[in-house]
Amino acid sequence: MKWLKLAIKNVLRNRRRAIVTMLITAVGVSAILVGGGFANFTYVSLKEMAARSSGHLIVAHKNYFEREESIPMEYGLDDYKALAKTFKSDKEVRYAIPRIEFTGLISNGEKSTIFMGTGVDAKYEFRVKGPFLIVEEGSVLSKRETEDDPKIMLGNKLAKSLKAKVNDSLTLITTTVDGGLNAIDVTVQGIFSTGVPEVDKRSIMVTLQTAQSLMATQKVSSVALHLRDTESTFDKYAELSSQYPDLAWQTWLDKAFFYVGVKNLYNRIFGLLGFIIIMMVFFSIYNTVSMSVVERTREIGTLRAIGTYSREVTRNFILEGAVIGIIGAIVGILIAFLISFGLSLADIQMPPPPGRTNSYPLVISIPNNLYLVTAFVSAMLCIVAAWLSSHKAAKKSIVGALSHV
Amino acid sequence: MNIIETKNLSKQYQQGALSVNALTKINIKIPDRAFTALLGPSGSGKSTLLNICGLIDKPSAGKFLFCGRDIGNVSDQELTTIRRNKLGFIFQGFNLIPVMSIYDNIEYPLILLDIDKKSRTKRVNAMLEKVGLSKFKKHLPDQISGGQKQRVAIARALITQPNLVIADEPTANLDTRTATDIIELMHKMHQAFNTSFIIATHDERMSSRCESSYQLQDGVLL
Repeated sequence: MKWLKLAIKNVLRNRRRAIVTMLITAVGVSAILVGGGFANFTYVSLKEMAARSSGHLIVAHKNYFEREESIPMEYGLDDYKALAKTFKSDKEVRYAIPRIEFTGLISNGEKSTIFMGTGVDAKYEFRVKGPFLIVEEGSVLSKRETEDDPKIMLGNKLAKSLKAKVNDSLTLITTTVDGGLNAIDVTVQGIFSTGVPEVDKRSIMVTLQTAQSLMATQKVSSVALHLRDTESTFDKYAELSSQYPDLAWQTWLDKAFFYVGVKNLYNRIFGLLGFIIIMMVFFSIYNTVSMSVVERTREIGTLRAIGTYSREVTRNFILEGAVIGIIGAIVGILIAFLISFGLSLADIQMPPPPGRTNSYPLVISIPNNLYLVTAFVSAMLCIVAAWLSSHKAAKKSIVGALSHV
Repeated sequence: MNIIETKNLSKQYQQGALSVNALTKINIKIPDRAFTALLGPSGSGKSTLLNICGLIDKPSAGKFLFCGRDIGNVSDQELTTIRRNKLGFIFQGFNLIPVMSIYDNIEYPLILLDIDKKSRTKRVNAMLEKVGLSKFKKHLPDQISGGQKQRVAIARALITQPNLVIADEPTANLDTRTATDIIELMHKMHQAFNTSFIIATHDERMSSRCESSYQLQDGVLL
């Protein structure tokens, strides 16, 4: 404690310099925290969006992910209801939702274009998609839909291409599981946006029954398992894939190409910025302690002469560096907290990321471990910088130090 | 027993390509509890000899014995331990730690010796009383006069009750009256603590109070 008191007194010896150094540290820490908090929010959002879109785990026929089908639904699941019921009985599984993926032509009578369709369980699909599916017009599909009046949801770009509006009638044409062609008239129930123009240009959704009827099958492509906790995905994957080796398994991460791409990009950008900030803080502390060491050379000589070991002199400078680093980190954490709180009140919208059409809120979500890691790294930087700048001076000849002017 | 003994002690400095003989074959013996002066003009080598006596410099040749022990091969770490336990320093420029109060400056050597807080408080207060600075104990060094600073330096040098106090021109930065007070204080402390003093000085009043003296000129003992 006595050494800490001495360190604080020495830090305050040149208040202006100490405050500037602390502020540089604080700005560096807050920049890392705010940048990290922004990246973290983006990762969490994209992860959630990917998981809600595909399911945390996707289970399919053992060949489904590996081989190309020669006829539609060749590798479909026919016992999906029993499978879904079995998986649903697991306490960690919130929903087990069957899906059919299919392609074909969609026509308004005048114009036809290709589509990528998904047959969904209307009861659960839209619950799990939540805010990540934006319904721009109309409404989502209903589980009460009748067989003689099938409905469809269109991606907004596709709707625009077909000049389709809610309640308009369209025709879907696709290949059945027998290789024949089948067509069905559908009424537009809603128009949605996923935020990805390329997807919205081709994407449609119908109910599972409509898709099965169109393709003349009782199979589904896959069953998506939505877990209660995204973090348990990989444990559950390991457990279920070993429990059901005859089925093929994927996690949301296997399908989250955008998440992986953004995460790799942001990790590089924020990693580089973080490194630059760390270097800036390091050299700032190094400079401050070096100046202090030079100014106090005689004092170091005096302390050494009266019996202070060189390691004790170095320790005192390290404590001074740590005091600057810790105070700077605390102030930085406060600044970052205030910035994230202020931004949450300001409701600022970020421009859409590349390849997307939807803007998203600027939210800084700083994880607790980032606070701890940043504070620790900041303190360590200060300690290393203080050690580097003082250990040589502490070992300098005492006579030379005492005669320093 | 001699606290300091040198045998043909020499010290050379390298100044660029030149080799300067600061001390040449010095043979001195300073007995325990002596009050000794090192005299000589500037550049005579008295500060160099004093630095060697204070274990902050080493001879280039010859032997230097401290309390009978040859310190020629002693590590820096061990020399620091000896200085911490057995030596006190009084500098011409006082060399007090500016961020520490008068009390803290005097207490510092006791902290290095790991003396408990209660004993430290007792000893520092007693020392402050002896040097007449009790009422200034919370002041910082730049809040007191030069003479008072040197009193603090004397107190700091003696607080651990060392075997030897090294004083380098202790009165050089003081006015005549204050210098006289300091000389008297050092003499009084020498008698009170039975501590050896080696004092490098130009001051005749100081040398006249010393029991013995060595005169140096151009690095040679006269």
